[in-house]
Amino acid sequence: MDRKITPVSKIFLVIIFFILYAPIFFLIFYSFNSGGNMNNFEGFTFDWYKELFQDTRLLIIVLNTLVVALLAALFSTIIGVMGALGIHAARRRQTKNTLLSINNVLIVSPDVIIGASFLVLFTMAGIKLGFYSVLLSHIAFCVPIVVLMVLPKLSEMSPTLLDAARDLGASRLDVITKVVLPYITPGIFAGFFMALTFSLDDFAVTFFVTGNGFSTLSVEIYSLARRGISLNINALSTLLFLFTLILVVIYYFINQRQQKPVLGGRK
Amino acid sequence: MENKVTRQLYMVPYVLWIVLFVIAPILLVLYYSFFNIEGQLSLDNYQKFFTPVYLKMTLSSFWYAFLITAITLLVAYPTAYLLTKTKHKHLWLLLIIVPSWINLLLKAYAFLGIFGTFGAANQFLELIGIGTQQILFTDFSFIFVSVYIFIPFMILPIFNSLNQLNPTLLDAANDLGASKWMTFKRVIFPLTIDGVKSGCQVVFIPALSLFMLTRLIAGNRVITLGTAIEQHFLVTQDWGMGSTIAVFLIIFMFLIMFLTGTKKRGV
Amino acid sequence: MANAIIEFKSVTKQYDNDPPVLDDVSFEIERGKFYTLLGPSGCGKTTILRLIAGFTEASDGEIYFNNKITNHVPANKRQVNTVFQDYALFPHLNVFENVAFGLRIKKMKNAEIEQKVKEALSFVNLEGYENREIREMSGGQRQRVAIARAIVNEPEVILLDEPLSALDLKLRTEMQYELRELQRRLGITFIFVTHDQEEALAMSDEIFVINKGKIQQSGTPTDIYDEPINRFVADFIGESNIVTGKMVQDQLVEMVGKRFECVDGGFQSNEPVEIVIRPEDLEITTVERGKLQVKVDSQLFRGVHYEISSYDQDGNEWLVHSTKKAVVGEEIGLYFDPEAIHVMRFNETEEEFDKRLEAYTDGSGHGK
Repeated sequence: MDRKITPVSKIFLVIIFFILYAPIFFLIFYSFNSGGNMNNFEGFTFDWYKELFQDTRLLIIVLNTLVVALLAALFSTIIGVMGALGIHAARRRQTKNTLLSINNVLIVSPDVIIGASFLVLFTMAGIKLGFYSVLLSHIAFCVPIVVLMVLPKLSEMSPTLLDAARDLGASRLDVITKVVLPYITPGIFAGFFMALTFSLDDFAVTFFVTGNGFSTLSVEIYSLARRGISLNINALSTLLFLFTLILVVIYYFINQRQQKPVLGGRK
Repeated sequence: MENKVTRQLYMVPYVLWIVLFVIAPILLVLYYSFFNIEGQLSLDNYQKFFTPVYLKMTLSSFWYAFLITAITLLVAYPTAYLLTKTKHKHLWLLLIIVPSWINLLLKAYAFLGIFGTFGAANQFLELIGIGTQQILFTDFSFIFVSVYIFIPFMILPIFNSLNQLNPTLLDAANDLGASKWMTFKRVIFPLTIDGVKSGCQVVFIPALSLFMLTRLIAGNRVITLGTAIEQHFLVTQDWGMGSTIAVFLIIFMFLIMFLTGTKKRGV
Repeated sequence: MANAIIEFKSVTKQYDNDPPVLDDVSFEIERGKFYTLLGPSGCGKTTILRLIAGFTEASDGEIYFNNKITNHVPANKRQVNTVFQDYALFPHLNVFENVAFGLRIKKMKNAEIEQKVKEALSFVNLEGYENREIREMSGGQRQRVAIARAIVNEPEVILLDEPLSALDLKLRTEMQYELRELQRRLGITFIFVTHDQEEALAMSDEIFVINKGKIQQSGTPTDIYDEPINRFVADFIGESNIVTGKMVQDQLVEMVGKRFECVDGGFQSNEPVEIVIRPEDLEITTVERGKLQVKVDSQLFRGVHYEISSYDQDGNEWLVHSTKKAVVGEEIGLYFDPEAIHVMRFNETEEEFDKRLEAYTDGSGHGK
């Protein structure tokens, strides 16, 4: 293969990276603007950050978002891992494929459909729109993601490993707790982490199923943005960007750990 | 059979999830689609869907989704291809993915500033002598921002399939006398078509149903199926019509999945 | 038999309506011997192992362990441990914890576990590797960890599922010696599965040759090599020249239109038979002195010998292993002793074969 990258290709890549990152840094840059808009940078200020930290309403929303994301990730990981174990254990190929297709429905469904249909579901079931409806929806759309993150780890696990554990006297529960779960731990972490980011990022589904009293960050940003520019949002996005970077670094390390044994195995 | 019972036992939460959050919502949406705005059982909504107003909206929604997908593909394929040739390709890929983890709303919000009447884009246009244009609330801004948002999602599957490509195949093609362009046309592209298909799938379906972008960036000039559903559910409270559009969106979704379905799907 | 530790009685294993993987198989395994199940892939040898280990259940028939029916005993309750083809070492545990896995399940005390693991590791020459991660071990070392993990539980039988197949040739030969030695020192039963006939001949006390779900022949390596029961066994164990012919009378066989003296007996007169002569039993000589006249077709140098392919006037191929070089295209003679001829009856079962063998070898001094 031609390993060299021509200068033209380099410029192309630079432009792509510039376009991808420019809006983000644009937001961060103007978060320090004393001018109050995103057009002229008048002077450097931390005012918007100060204002942000005094806005108790917004802080509560941030807290809500985090609580929902953590709980959703936790529950969806538990359900998803159990589901992945079940799908993996299915003997018949057809059962497996059917379960997988059903699993993927919520992943390929547009957010609007998920949001609208959950709204109908909660209304029919008589669940009041608010914290619980949002949490349940987030758990629901995170479950298939966890399954998809855990399944490859399960199928990469050699079946003789389970035979070996049985052979050495392990009961079925021992096999799961002492062999399977430790083996798929990286997949579980990746699933949890993915669920966390999906929940934090979600706007459309939450927008449908949240009531008047409850709001998450995405929904709040939407309603602020509809009202126009406010540099509070810029300050907020700087913080969120840093937070995302931290998550990315954590995720990168989880991935690295996941890859190490594979590389070692090739020696 | 102790093992069968336990196996079924740990599948309970997952199966419950399937029934409650995958099957029930779809059935409920289907059910609601048969009720007109007065709450009577009828096919009114389906008749309404086939009136010119809704058909035109569906067509334009498809047209926009097609444009967005095509442009995204045109940008993403070369990017993915060049990325596989870089030295630390997985790190670069991660850097491409990072922006997709920044909250969607924040990115949309950034473009409100950039494309605004006195925003950075117009300042640039002023500078090169074209003069201030109306950018925000146009088709251009809607498509641009959509492409911006979807690029990472398109790059990822294409990158993966390019990355799995055995480099000796390219040597073989070269050896057999194929030019670079022939190698691309006859070997690389056919072998990465699965990545392209799943990329198109993850872009086209959401592009059909975007709604916050149409509101924030396109200023309601563009109405997609997603916008229509949101409008019916949350503004006009005509759940029946909203559900009908959702039913069609689900049908389109399955059709697209079927058309872009790859044989290697599933784990 | 009092000394039998494992006994299969008419065991059949069948999935759905496919042809049976194991078809009405019966055999006994004696305590303290090295057994090899030998056969091509898909012949059912691994299924036998899995039945003994308890990973799968027989569709029909009984399996006895220490004279008790063991068909429905789950794998974790059996006095048997397995060394897997891919070793199946737990990647999330280090060497020590891998070996200690079975002991920890038994809730043994820590001090005892430590002592037993050390002992097992020194048995396989891995002292000092306790804290290594599995990924840091080479193929041969992983193999030893897998063996240590099996023997530390002091099973009565160790099952080895093609454990040497992933190793390179040199290491494989080394491990063959080590495994054999280990079995002698431990004095427990080893059941070894392989498709490599040389491995089987080199290591075993007893070999079961298996094909298409049936045991074709069982016996010591020399028995099986010298007295193959049928074409399959003769072909699978070593290289063979096999031609059809007929038994004129005891000790006289006809092939390629000629009559030869041999040492086999117990046939009907003029019974059609198959005749096996091993390539190393054929000697190159002049056309006049040869018992058979053949034309050299091709020749390969194999290191210790030349492998010469030649054809007689009937078109039968004769493979010769000779230290002497032949000339391609030349007519040569092949000489062999009467003992080199081995006559096989068509469709003879192992029982009939053994009976006949006993009848005619008694006192006849069948030499080998």
